[in-house]
Amino acid sequence: MSFTLHFPTRLEEAWDLLEQGPPGASLPIAGGTDLLLGLDFGRFAPERLVSLSRLPLQRLEFGRDGVRIGSMLPLRTLELDERVRKGVPALAQAINEVGSVQLRHRATLGGNVVRASATSDLLPPLVALETELTLVSRGGRRTVRLEGFVEGSWKTGLRVGEIVEELHVPSPRPGTYQWQRVRPANDISQVGVAVVRHPKNGGGPSVRWRIVAGGTAGSFQRLTRAEACLERDEPSEREVAEAAREAAGEAKFLTDLRAAEEYRRHLLRVLVRRGIERTVRSAATAGGG
Amino acid sequence: MTRPDALPKAEGRVEFGADLSAPRMLWAAYATAPHPHARLRSLSVDEALATPGVRAVLTAADLSALLPKRKPDPQRPLLVAKESRFQGEPFALVAAEDLATARAAARRVRADWEVLPAFTDLTKELPSWPTPEVMKGDDRVNAHVLASRGDFEKACRDADVVHDETYRTNMVAQVPMEPHACLARVRGEDWHVRTTTQTPFGLREDLVDKLGLPTERVRVEGTWVGGGFGGKNEALLEAHALLLSKRTGRPVRLALTFREEFLFSRTTQPAVFQMTSCVRGGRLIGRRTRLLLDTGASLPGRDFALGYALGFTLGPYRLDAWELEGYALRTHRPPFGPHRAPLAPQCSFAAESHLDSLARRIGVDPIAFRRQHVWEAGEKTAFGQEVPPFAAAEALARGQALERSWRAELPPGGGIGIAVGFWSTGTGAGGEAIVRLCPTGLTIVQGEREIGTGSVCEATRAIASRVTGLPMEAVQVEYLDTSRAPFDSGVWGSRTTIALGRAVQKACEALLHDLGRRGLGLGRGHPRQSRRGAPEVRLELFRGRVMVRQGELARPLVALLTSQERKRGGVEALGKEYGRSHDIDRSVVKDGELYPYSDLIASVHLAQVAVDRDTGAVRVERYAAFQDAGHVVDPEGYRGQVEGAVLMGLGTALTEEGLLTPQGRLQNPGLLDYRIPTIRDVPSELQIVAIEGHPGSGPWGAKGVGEPPIIPVPAAVANALADATGARVLEIPLTPERVARALGIISARAPTQEVPGMPPVTPTGGK
Ligand SMILES: Cc1cc2nc3c(=O)[nH]c(=O)nc-3n(C[C@H](O)[C@H](O)[C@H](O)COP(=O)(O)OP(=O)(O)OC[C@H]3O[C@@H](n4cnc5c(N)ncnc54)[C@H](O)[C@@H]3O)c2cc1C
Repeated sequence: MSFTLHFPTRLEEAWDLLEQGPPGASLPIAGGTDLLLGLDFGRFAPERLVSLSRLPLQRLEFGRDGVRIGSMLPLRTLELDERVRKGVPALAQAINEVGSVQLRHRATLGGNVVRASATSDLLPPLVALETELTLVSRGGRRTVRLEGFVEGSWKTGLRVGEIVEELHVPSPRPGTYQWQRVRPANDISQVGVAVVRHPKNGGGPSVRWRIVAGGTAGSFQRLTRAEACLERDEPSEREVAEAAREAAGEAKFLTDLRAAEEYRRHLLRVLVRRGIERTVRSAATAGGG
Repeated sequence: MTRPDALPKAEGRVEFGADLSAPRMLWAAYATAPHPHARLRSLSVDEALATPGVRAVLTAADLSALLPKRKPDPQRPLLVAKESRFQGEPFALVAAEDLATARAAARRVRADWEVLPAFTDLTKELPSWPTPEVMKGDDRVNAHVLASRGDFEKACRDADVVHDETYRTNMVAQVPMEPHACLARVRGEDWHVRTTTQTPFGLREDLVDKLGLPTERVRVEGTWVGGGFGGKNEALLEAHALLLSKRTGRPVRLALTFREEFLFSRTTQPAVFQMTSCVRGGRLIGRRTRLLLDTGASLPGRDFALGYALGFTLGPYRLDAWELEGYALRTHRPPFGPHRAPLAPQCSFAAESHLDSLARRIGVDPIAFRRQHVWEAGEKTAFGQEVPPFAAAEALARGQALERSWRAELPPGGGIGIAVGFWSTGTGAGGEAIVRLCPTGLTIVQGEREIGTGSVCEATRAIASRVTGLPMEAVQVEYLDTSRAPFDSGVWGSRTTIALGRAVQKACEALLHDLGRRGLGLGRGHPRQSRRGAPEVRLELFRGRVMVRQGELARPLVALLTSQERKRGGVEALGKEYGRSHDIDRSVVKDGELYPYSDLIASVHLAQVAVDRDTGAVRVERYAAFQDAGHVVDPEGYRGQVEGAVLMGLGTALTEEGLLTPQGRLQNPGLLDYRIPTIRDVPSELQIVAIEGHPGSGPWGAKGVGEPPIIPVPAAVANALADATGARVLEIPLTPERVARALGIISARAPTQEVPGMPPVTPTGGK
């Protein structure tokens, strides 16, 4: 295998490189933690890798409507940022569980989203947070919702030559990421669940809950029936139990060497319950949101 | 004290096996059997050979031309000839100008396989204990052991309680961070291999055997070893690399990928333990173990494991009557191989879980129950040997005191477990070392390589320093190949500091004795010379020069050397340690073999766990290891061994297992789904207590430490889990799902249907 590695400093330069050759001949590389494995497995055989590391994709900006995260910010930077931890705890908690510290120094959110792994720990919280992506290409800039953008493993709505510029994550949003693994650190989650509570559009007493599972089967799954069980800031014990039961009923599960279907279903139920309870508790201590 | 290898390793300056290279070197790769048991119908190497850059492709048919003198052993083929015996068994070798070409060509060796039924699941094939009639005719039985003392049946009849349980353990691998790797070069009569090995001499013997060459023509040279854990004891890939070199006339480098490490290195396979114990009047009176041991594709005659393991299932406890029976079975898994205290963690898991559940059943404190029965020095072992100095009773007493203080602070839902392990050092196999004293310092000349424990590069120096009086920095180690080094049997069996260390100690003593006899050059008849009980000779360093001191007198070493010694650069002495032979009361053995112990080493461990009652997840929060040290030679090295062994044991206890499909193919041959502990799995509290004063046969009474501290870990954790939940999990590892089943959170039985194919999970290794 041989390829050339390029470090463009302007987006125009990057596009020039990315548009060379037939599809697959030029690939963007961020932290490389997934791409290099893909090369090793023979999934890709690029002629050129275009590093995004010197492009202006490292913004981290907090505004009234949320936080804008440059696609190339290393996960470790986000993890250490107090505002991220306070504002979007569901995402911060999930980031904290990705691989090891060494890995998180290289891995990026942009890479995680475009890799679109079925077992990603970051897609559930990002989707539950109703994240939007800004994509840039020579043709211009467009904004898409993450939820419809990810289609399956290595499959997204990204067009050739397009680069994920940043992620827009509404903040602050109380929430949590609950997960279970055979080995707590540096393992793939048997089940991961993100729970996030959004204020109703235009404020008011009522809220919008988002519950998204990962690792259970295929890609992430939004659990809309479970979400529908919850309407209030602080759902009753019965409503929480109902949501957990619905979640276990509506999600799809597979049996593989990491867990049996039955165990995954059970875990999802436990983790959804805990996720809602902890979201309520953390929102109370954080003083609303 | 900083180890001499620490900085070079941190800076990437030491040469491990995979770093080896030579001018004109070829890179080699394997083609391996995809099925555990399959007939090789046909084989074509044309396409592989035609690949540009390929210099040789070897299959079984090519070997006799390369090894005219070797008597072919159809039972131990170097490459699959007719039938694969396990998944991953090599059937072709490729050498090429670069690694990518070698690997690509290996994939182009076309093999047509007829898949045959594979025996890989003990429980499925032998759901209940087989009758002797059934097993007699079974050619899969590699070994059978039957031994007893007293009347076990009668003990059962007399008992108030007869306690019966079946425990299961799974495949675990050594997983050294450095895969096997070697560089081979055949030039004329010289078959030379540099390799990452724990036993250069043992490996040479193995090669002599495999290749049919005279010993003196095989030369093994160790490299720095990035962890062995028993996995680098025998020749795995060296013969293959040598054959490729013989064929091509060029140096050949061969290294395993991680996938290959999991598929065909020699390791621990599953075992089933049927444990029965009887109690009368609160006293343990009888124990029977029936053991089915999967020894993979091993062959009869290489099955010491069974007899050794069985002994450990009796525990270090007094018993009126006992019976041991076991079968070592040949299966279509990789051949059994040594693995840090081979099978002892598994035996301890079964025996110590069983003892614990028995104590709880009869309402006795599990620690008190152990203290009531544990061996003390001077009494007899189950096999009739006299118990040598042994710290088990003291360790249990100290463990009990700590358990009380932990229990006083135990959070609700937590649990504390204790377990005992015992082990015997591999001191019977001998070793020799030479020390060479030069005017600037002392060199230990020997044939081992440092495998990471510090036993070679640090402990031998600590011993020499202590005997001679020279500071550590004036003592160095020289590593020679097997054609020049004094013989030693290897870095295994917790023996290095004990046996090689003793050889170094004796060599140093002989050296001092020799210098003492020369006197300090003060002339014949000097009063200090002739007086009996003259002060011992000691060495010291003065302005970078070695001084010989006797009482108040000191002379530079050079002054004591003969002119020949001065020309040679110094004076040498040889030390040999061949241990003492031991035996058991042979009358207990009815069939097969049992083995004697040399030093006995106790490990008493305490674990405190937190259990998530909703998910079955177990977390180890506090851990304490009371170790029977004999004498600690190198405190930092000692602590490192215990910490490492505890962590490795936690992997066996909680997360590590090889998972097979119903067809017997390994589903997780990689570090993603074969889960060794990470730094985040270290318990937040880890106490290590070295108990001295029960001497062993090493220097100053030292006992081996490499293996003993891994032994009780799985049982200690399982017992803590039982303490927390009241539920006994009869199989390790204690994964969350398995615990959830035992706790009744989900149904008791795991599904057995074939799971969908998983995508490959590991990269194919280094480039
Ligand atoms: C040991 C290990 C442990 C891991 N553990 C976890 C875990 O616990 N949880 C988890 O979720 N993941 C885990 N991962 C997966 C991986 O680390 C993440 O998916 C990571 O976030 C990928 O980011 P990256 O920057 O390295 O992406 P890269 O590998 O550089 O890129 C991945 C893909 O995204 C494309 N790409 C990257 N950035 C952009 C962009 N800005 N615009 C357009 N395309 C882009 C690349 O072309 C490539 O196709 C682990 C990986 C390893 C190796």
